[in-house]
Amino acid sequence: MEEKKQGVGEDWLSFWLAIVIFVISLFAFTSTDPLGWAISTKVWTNVSKAVAPTGKAFQGVKGEITKIDGNKVTIKKADGKEETITVKDVTGLQVGQVYEKKGISGFTSLVLTYLFLLVLMGIGAALMKANVGKFVIGFTVVFWLSYICWLIGHYAYIAATDAKKAGVPWSLKLTGEAGFIVALLVGLFIGNFMPGLSRFLKEAIRPELYIKTGIGLMGALLGIKSAEAFGLASAVLFRGLCAIIEAYLIYWALVYFIARKYFKFSREWAAPLASGISICGVSAAIATGGAIKARPVVPIMVSSLVVIFAVIELVILPFFAQAFLWKEPMVAGAWMGLAVKTDGAAFASGAVVDALIRAKAETAAGIKYEPGWMLMAASTTKLFIDIFISIWAFILAVIWCAKIECKPGEKVQAGVIWQRFPKFVMAYAVTFIVMLLIAAPNAPKIKPVESQIDKIKKEIAATEKQLPTVTDPAQQAALNEKIKANKDKIKGLEAEIKGPKTTMSQAKTAAAGTNALRVMFFLVTFFAIGVVSDFKKLWEEGIGKLAAVYLLCLFGFILWIGLFISWIFFHGVKPPVVGG
Amino acid sequence: MPEETRLAEELERMKYEELLPVEKKLISWSIILGIVLLGILVWISYTFFPAEH
Repeated sequence: MEEKKQGVGEDWLSFWLAIVIFVISLFAFTSTDPLGWAISTKVWTNVSKAVAPTGKAFQGVKGEITKIDGNKVTIKKADGKEETITVKDVTGLQVGQVYEKKGISGFTSLVLTYLFLLVLMGIGAALMKANVGKFVIGFTVVFWLSYICWLIGHYAYIAATDAKKAGVPWSLKLTGEAGFIVALLVGLFIGNFMPGLSRFLKEAIRPELYIKTGIGLMGALLGIKSAEAFGLASAVLFRGLCAIIEAYLIYWALVYFIARKYFKFSREWAAPLASGISICGVSAAIATGGAIKARPVVPIMVSSLVVIFAVIELVILPFFAQAFLWKEPMVAGAWMGLAVKTDGAAFASGAVVDALIRAKAETAAGIKYEPGWMLMAASTTKLFIDIFISIWAFILAVIWCAKIECKPGEKVQAGVIWQRFPKFVMAYAVTFIVMLLIAAPNAPKIKPVESQIDKIKKEIAATEKQLPTVTDPAQQAALNEKIKANKDKIKGLEAEIKGPKTTMSQAKTAAAGTNALRVMFFLVTFFAIGVVSDFKKLWEEGIGKLAAVYLLCLFGFILWIGLFISWIFFHGVKPPVVGG
Repeated sequence: MPEETRLAEELERMKYEELLPVEKKLISWSIILGIVLLGILVWISYTFFPAEH
């Protein structure tokens, strides 16, 4: 028999990929923008204006100078919008002049993003001992097809939350994240109707690798958000932990009971099925199968079903949540983490629900929530679920061996907890903690001082308004003195927060770069999930009984218990409001 | 052997196993613990980790 070469596993590889990108991003603290060339996509009516590099240092800008304040220059662009930029040397610049700074084009930025990911993932493929040539070709097709979907999803008629502002008569108001759904649908079409292309792309169709890397990167952004709203973040983390303890204890036991009692499944089938349906899809089914020493074929068959139903959940639940839970955004986020199985689909549905509910809240109630908090609730619950799989599998192994059926010579060792521990979670933890430690001492200092500055500015404006109405020279002198004193006060306050502001701006630059790449990883995940979801499985002989248990449990109580638990722990918890 | 036949065969081959007392205990203890912990964890969350309500 041919021996298969063993390379680095996808779990460890996703950890290292996220760490490498994160370390590169940290060069932002040397006042550079190491990932600023990465692509960002805007809602568009003219496709040529849809793409641009993420970092301001890489963006080109042109317009008439309307204000010069120190090295901050405000310009009015051709579209009438004003933008303030920092210019190193302002000598020679005057109000009224046209200012132009050349940057890199959106297309160059897109190509750079592709090349960076191609090289990185190509090295990853080599470390996995995959067929690098096939991977490179497959990844190229996956990347460009996915990006076209992303671009389509950003078309104003689909994405704009405010049609008028975007210059179109109507819009589906799905936000740019509609591109994820387009990528999923195109992937599903290829996976189900183009088997030749699907096989050709196989080496690069790795949704778990992509999503785990993306999640590792997401920690950086959420670390900064948490530093800015520490109380809320710690509540989300703790409540996420509580929610999953509940899910494990109630979900698993109920599904196991129904599978055993009413569908007459054997223990070997019922345990992986219960884990697959109730906890976390594929990895839980496999871990449980291993723990109770089921034959490998059992969790594999369970997993194939889980993957299909996860896609159905991914397509339906976020829209359901948008319709009924938009007033409880964090409940919706946590619900995605609890109810949608498989890592890819769960994190992906968190991203979609985040976008959909923000759009709905903005159009229906004029509330502009900060992006990422619903995704944080979804990912927190899902990550805790992933962490607990190893512990749950260990508990089941002990119970099975001690009380149900112990195979001859079988010994349960605590070491399996580490073996089954999802390593990619550590990348999330590292990026989250590092950014939190950097931002936490600085973020809280800025806001109170800035609101103090705002108050003083208002006072100055009021005094300046009063000045022309006063004729008494003594009074005029007093008012001028007051304005000067207030301006000095502002200077003092600005100097006080200069350090923290610089650190936070550098941290945000680092996080913006990793986030741009995180979006790309999420995007190819959606596409890859589509390609691997073979719906023909549903017509497979004998699948009916398995599918019946799945449908009954999923739509009978898992969704609703998940919603109930999410409601208990997250109702009334609201994400911060932009500019609030 | 095609996978289609294998799944059907596997499910057909599955023997009926009576629900053991230990399994019943595992199920009931798990649900009871879940419900008791729900109360405790909700209290801890709202007391020690308040969020905007």
